[in-house]
Amino acid sequence: MKIFKFFITKIFLRKAILCISMFMLLCLANYTTFIASRSILSTLQGYQEIKCMNQEGIFIANLDPDSNIDMDIIGETGTRIVYDYLNSNHKYAFYTDGFMIAVPNDDDMEISLCYMNEGYYELNQFDISHGNDLFFDFQLDKEEAIPVLIGTGLSKTYPVGSTIIIDEPVLGRSVILKVQGVLKQNSCHSNFYALNSKSYYNFSIFMPVNQEFIENANIDLQLNGLMDLIILDTTKEKTEDLSRFMYDNLGLKFNFFSQEENFDYFNDYYLYSLKIIAITTLILLVVITCISIWNALVSIRLMMKDFTINLLVGLSYSRLRRIFYSYFGILFGVNLLVISSITALNRYECWLRKDATFVTYGLFGLIGMDWLALLVVLFSDIIIGMIVVESMLRKIKKIPISLGVLQ
Amino acid sequence: MGKSLFRFADALELAVVYAFCFFLNLLFNYVKVWDFNSYILKAFFKNFMDYQTLIVFFFTFIVIVFHYQMLYRKKIEVYCRVLVGDTVLYIAIRYIRDCLMVLTVIYLLFLLIHVHLKFCLTGNIFLVFIFIIYILISASQVRKYENF
Repeated sequence: MKIFKFFITKIFLRKAILCISMFMLLCLANYTTFIASRSILSTLQGYQEIKCMNQEGIFIANLDPDSNIDMDIIGETGTRIVYDYLNSNHKYAFYTDGFMIAVPNDDDMEISLCYMNEGYYELNQFDISHGNDLFFDFQLDKEEAIPVLIGTGLSKTYPVGSTIIIDEPVLGRSVILKVQGVLKQNSCHSNFYALNSKSYYNFSIFMPVNQEFIENANIDLQLNGLMDLIILDTTKEKTEDLSRFMYDNLGLKFNFFSQEENFDYFNDYYLYSLKIIAITTLILLVVITCISIWNALVSIRLMMKDFTINLLVGLSYSRLRRIFYSYFGILFGVNLLVISSITALNRYECWLRKDATFVTYGLFGLIGMDWLALLVVLFSDIIIGMIVVESMLRKIKKIPISLGVLQ
Repeated sequence: MGKSLFRFADALELAVVYAFCFFLNLLFNYVKVWDFNSYILKAFFKNFMDYQTLIVFFFTFIVIVFHYQMLYRKKIEVYCRVLVGDTVLYIAIRYIRDCLMVLTVIYLLFLLIHVHLKFCLTGNIFLVFIFIIYILISASQVRKYENF
């Protein structure tokens, strides 16, 4: 420990510029690895999430990019006819979110309402930390409370069994909600078309939607629900008929994609993107490692005398190797701390902005995916550290001790 | 190189270091105009594009390392030159001249590439400004080796 302290204070820190530049290079390497691994992990997590929807007989709707939404043509009658057709001819999963309301809560957050029908709820199998599952056979016209699931953030203010009175934005009237259960911490939803983009449910309310609810809801909910509609147990021909029916009544062209088409899309689009990310990261890491080696060799050139004097008075190469590894261990440790602090601050920023769809809970403000990405960073650090330290030792071993001392 | 502190290998090393920083800037400008057609790629590169100036600035530290080690290695040469009648001022002026020569060549090379690709030139000017500051600071350090 004494010799290590001597090397740090009397040799490495005496040439602080070299230490700072090495620190910055390693910081860039760590940042690149962290961002890349988190992007890849997030996409794969999103893929796992939508895998349950990529089954045979399931078709996912997508509004044709060339189709323009003209609200003059689309009326409530049009959407109602479409839902009547859907109810009598298809089994479907309905989901839509993003309706923000003000509900008093301890964290003063705006609450996001997520509407889903039984088909979607069964398809996704949401994890509930406590309480019971949702049920969908409630009566809307009676003064009966609607059973809901809430996010972890709301469970402090509204425990299981409590009621919430809200001004329902899609029904246009006040309704009573009864907390049926609490969702697992950091439950999230990936965007179908950007799997790495997540919306967290910590401050959300899951509203069960049945046929009666959709009939009484305004056009916003009815139309939004059609955008990500999932048709279950159906065939290509039936979805083509549905697409035509929707076009005739709404003037919107919807495409329905099957499991095979979705897998092809994943292979063409996501795998291509992930490959580009992996290759770019690898190239950047190789370049940064090369510069780090150059920086380390410069350090050796300038500190040659110090190293060789210590070798002359009895320091062994294995001890020197241990000192180098400890030195790089400290650099990597500080770097990891910097990266985790920046990430935690970014996550905390969402709390300050009161951004209900992005706030998360986790150890030191970091969620599971961040910790996994940090683990990848640690692994890459070990590899970079080994390459740089071994190059330094190789260089030192090449210099005769007598020559080094004379310098 | 005459009375210069630079040998060919030193000039080449400095040119490579400058070229790397300019190339990084070029790469950022290229990514900026790249039509991704992919949300994931766009989100991934945004993490770098948002900090373009900071990242490029971090990498310019390798130029500081070059100047630092260059002068440190040449301290005996500086002392000997002073001993045989040269002055610190002239050594520093020659050092500035040589560094600026290398910088100008590399800058012009990348300027041509930027103009050819119709990219914004502000990033390069920012780099030149930083490198000139580094040169001036390192040239002022020559004085340190007057008395060996």
